Amino acid sequence: MKKTISVALTGNPNVGKTTVFNTITGSRQHVGNWPGVTVEKKTGRCEYADTSIEVTDLPGTYSLTAYSADEVIARNFIIEDNPDVVVQVVDASNLERNLYLTMQLAELGRPVIVALNMVDVAEGRGDTIDEKRLSELLAMPVVRTVGTSGRGLDRLLETIIAVAAKGEKHTHTIGYGDEAEALISDLVRILDDDPALAGGYPLRWLAVRAIEGDSAVLALIEKSSVAGAVQARLQQIDLDEYEALLADKRYEAIGAILPQACTMCVRKMTGSDMIDRVVTNKYLGIPIFLALMWGAFQLTFAVAEPFMAGIEYVFGWLGEVVAGSIGNEWLASLLGDGVIGGVGGVFVFVPNIFILFLILSILEGSGYLARAAFIMDRLMYVIGLPGKSFIPMLMGFGCNVPAIMSTRTIEDDRDRLITILVNPFISCGARLPVYILFAGVFFGRDAGNVIFGLYALGIVVAILSAKLFRCTILPGESSPFIMEMPPYRIPTIKNAMLNMWEKGSMYLKKAGGIILIGSLIVWFLASYPAGVEYGSEESFAGMIGHLLEPLVSPLGLDWKIAVALIFGFVAKEIVVSSLGVLYGADEGSAALSDALLADPALSMAGALAVMVFVLLYMPCVATLGVIKKETGSWRWAGFSVLYGLVVAWILAFATFHLASYFLGGA
Amino acid sequence: MASCPLSLLSAGTTGKITGVHAGEGLRRRLYALGLIPEATVTVVTRDRGSIIVSVCGCRYALSRGMAMKVIIAPEVAAR
Repeated sequence: MKKTISVALTGNPNVGKTTVFNTITGSRQHVGNWPGVTVEKKTGRCEYADTSIEVTDLPGTYSLTAYSADEVIARNFIIEDNPDVVVQVVDASNLERNLYLTMQLAELGRPVIVALNMVDVAEGRGDTIDEKRLSELLAMPVVRTVGTSGRGLDRLLETIIAVAAKGEKHTHTIGYGDEAEALISDLVRILDDDPALAGGYPLRWLAVRAIEGDSAVLALIEKSSVAGAVQARLQQIDLDEYEALLADKRYEAIGAILPQACTMCVRKMTGSDMIDRVVTNKYLGIPIFLALMWGAFQLTFAVAEPFMAGIEYVFGWLGEVVAGSIGNEWLASLLGDGVIGGVGGVFVFVPNIFILFLILSILEGSGYLARAAFIMDRLMYVIGLPGKSFIPMLMGFGCNVPAIMSTRTIEDDRDRLITILVNPFISCGARLPVYILFAGVFFGRDAGNVIFGLYALGIVVAILSAKLFRCTILPGESSPFIMEMPPYRIPTIKNAMLNMWEKGSMYLKKAGGIILIGSLIVWFLASYPAGVEYGSEESFAGMIGHLLEPLVSPLGLDWKIAVALIFGFVAKEIVVSSLGVLYGADEGSAALSDALLADPALSMAGALAVMVFVLLYMPCVATLGVIKKETGSWRWAGFSVLYGLVVAWILAFATFHLASYFLGGA
Repeated sequence: MASCPLSLLSAGTTGKITGVHAGEGLRRRLYALGLIPEATVTVVTRDRGSIIVSVCGCRYALSRGMAMKVIIAPEVAAR
């Protein structure tokens, strides 16, 4: 039988850990969630030299304190799941900070291998690192790797297998000085009396963490039989002083190791600093950011264009084939009007969304996105949110689902909640088809400006809502934040593509599942009760629409729009396909455009009101689900629906009446 | 020059951290990132109190609130 080795991959954020993970495991990955928390858990498998290696990608952390959920997850995994080997990916161009985590990992007792990543960057800068000496000093194997090119990864896998075969615990840890060491050994002796603790945890680590006032560890000791004795010993000392002392000793140890293993390792002003001086400049920062964003959107639409035309053509052709070849009228209608009409109308926008995510992935990989958060911090501060909240907003232009998931990096719960609640107002890719249809039909040459205005309106509503929430239900100041600015790098195609696929596939799944079901329901409601004309006022859809007409008529809309808006809850693109169904237009937007223009119930003002309403009215089902999941309660999900509906109705009402006044009315 | 909060330094200034006035969770976080007493930091950019600093080879963005908590003694010969 093949041997199986479990490996935990750990390291600081932005050291190329994910690249190493991707290169080792390729596509054999599984993405899930860590139990109980909404932090992504990635596992992957790799076969090497008759051995099967199970890799778990732990969240990137700077240390193993209990500061954030990420850190708790990482250390619990190492302690409780007992991986055979722990691999720490280290940024060779930044050893000092990275080795701090190494010092803490050493105390956990599992065998640790240091993967000295990005040595190419370090050496390009003139550093030379003696990994043999480093390995001796740390008492851990050290392997040079370049994750982006895959260099050294074979050596890493060989080392993993060799270390796992030995199966020895790691015992070498740094000393904290006589006084602290006396305290630590006292505590270890006390803790050893509780078999539950002694059996499950590295005692030295528990003692160190207890001295540093780690809340999770203290809670654990609290429950043990030795709680009283530990408390008594800790009361004899000034804990604050010790905490700083231990951190200090770790850096001291690193400071002693580094000069022996590394020639330079001290940095001067680098290219990154130069770029930062410019792109985060007080005056240039925002214009550069806006120019990049404008370019990103232009590129998105320009590149997507031919793909969209291709997809449209394929679905059009499919529709014809179905209509021509299926004799059974009922089945032809189900497939043609329901499935192909509904899903096809939505699939057209997949290229847009993928390309937008690709561009964002490239910006993220290059290190610019972190700067964007810093630049926007000034604006975000005004509305009471940290700059970090800006990145989910940016992603919301693609799809709100991954955008809301990306709020996990925001530490403060209230900041995070506000960021989640305002995200649905950011106009996602799914709303674009609705704008293109209505703006194109009613505004012709001005369509571009109208659509731009809608995007701007979404941002304004999001900002004002955030301010409102800050002043009312979720008071507080934006919490102080500290965020690493990773060095600028040239992103690799592979990682950008993987990242794009991860986020884009969430949208694809939605298109495949929910939208298909939604389209079928629309088709059913428009076709029954049996015998009615498809999509007519006598169908179920018509009845529902008439029921709701009083609610939307103040907005200048009639029953057909009301029906489409209800279905739009499933996914906003469905507004277009349901209108296609209700106006009896077959696949092909020209027919629907003519039908809309010919409808006396719709005016330019009404069209504006529809677009404003669609922009704001409520999150789609998928977004709602993710809001529920991320906030942990239906309460906030329900709130976001109600709040959205109220805001949408008021603004659509105002838009309709203002527009009627200025544009000359219906 | 006397010590002052990091948020008051202008871009290009270098100095030594003399103290971190934060709650324990935050302080531990700052320590882990290398913002410990005696560490040398350089201000890369400053924008109304929010700053980007470079410390032991890494760059961090600190919001104004955070930068107020880090006390620093600027070097006289600022580059």
